[in-house]
Amino acid sequence: MKRIILSGFIAGIILFVLSYGSLFLAIRFFPELFTDYNNPLFNSNGSRDILFYLHAFIFSFALSWFWDRFKGLFHGAFIVRGLEFGLVYAMVALLPVMWITFSSLDITLFIVFSWFMYGLIQAVIAGLIFAKINA
Amino acid sequence: MNQPAFLCSLPVHTLYQRPTMLKLLLFLLFFLSGFHQTIKKPYLAKWVITKGCSLKVVGSTNVNQFSCVIADYYKPDTLTFYKDAVAEPTRITGTLKLEVQNFDCLNPVMTANLRNTLKAKENPYLIIKFINLSRYPANYTQNGGLKGVVSIQLAGVTKRYEVDYRFIPNGAKALTLVGTRQVNFSDFDIIPPRKIGGMIQTRNELDVQFSLKAKILY
Repeated sequence: MKRIILSGFIAGIILFVLSYGSLFLAIRFFPELFTDYNNPLFNSNGSRDILFYLHAFIFSFALSWFWDRFKGLFHGAFIVRGLEFGLVYAMVALLPVMWITFSSLDITLFIVFSWFMYGLIQAVIAGLIFAKINA
Repeated sequence: MNQPAFLCSLPVHTLYQRPTMLKLLLFLLFFLSGFHQTIKKPYLAKWVITKGCSLKVVGSTNVNQFSCVIADYYKPDTLTFYKDAVAEPTRITGTLKLEVQNFDCLNPVMTANLRNTLKAKENPYLIIKFINLSRYPANYTQNGGLKGVVSIQLAGVTKRYEVDYRFIPNGAKALTLVGTRQVNFSDFDIIPPRKIGGMIQTRNELDVQFSLKAKILY
């Protein structure tokens, strides 16, 4: 349990910096890609900002548990294990969620695709961290 | 009976029998009542608002700009100009009542966002009430600049602003009055929208421009 929490916390900090840092830079240098976020579908009064920024930790703790439970199924060097872990997460969880999101919400295919890639990269990074510190 | 002293000296039947006396009394009453003041100080001019009026708001976020218009506003109304004193600005009565739901930002997402931000469902109208002009544009044939005060009601909050006006002649006895003013979302207790954890933020400032086409009655 201690191992799950510790590796989840470390992954959370790293993902927090990388995810929000890259998002900040992307908005700064490619603002035109983000104009579709001016959509009433997205919360606009700031009341849920804390939840938004906690996402990196929620994601990391959930994946840390998942890794600890099924790490025996991933073999090879830590890079391969991390990559495979990220791809498994993307196929099992992200793809169906993105599918239902696109089918039900008035958002563009580009937004859904970018979310899929964002989640996949996050999961691969988390997998690499877990493969390194919780082999 | 509380009659004036000079009437008391006359028998009541004498009053009714003398129509000229009655007329004189009515005439005196009319002048003493203050009604004559409206006749002495009539309004300066009347303008009828005609088709083709519009309201534009221009704002920006840290990722884009938006420009939203209520085009072709037309609701017959009259602007009446009064002049109370030489030194004072010209007082106006008249109102524009625009439906927030009619804003169009030429982008469905931005349009929906603006309507949502301006709380169109709870407060469907944006009301501009004209209060005064620094001077009456007596020469309709020349372009010119003026200042004036309006009150703007938006999202249930009313604020007074000084507006810069330009007036553009549109042929004989017709003109376009263009008012511009920068307002803030916060003036109307509206929080400028912020998305994805505040990484996309709408700036507080909003440039408002209304264009009023009017026909001068007299």
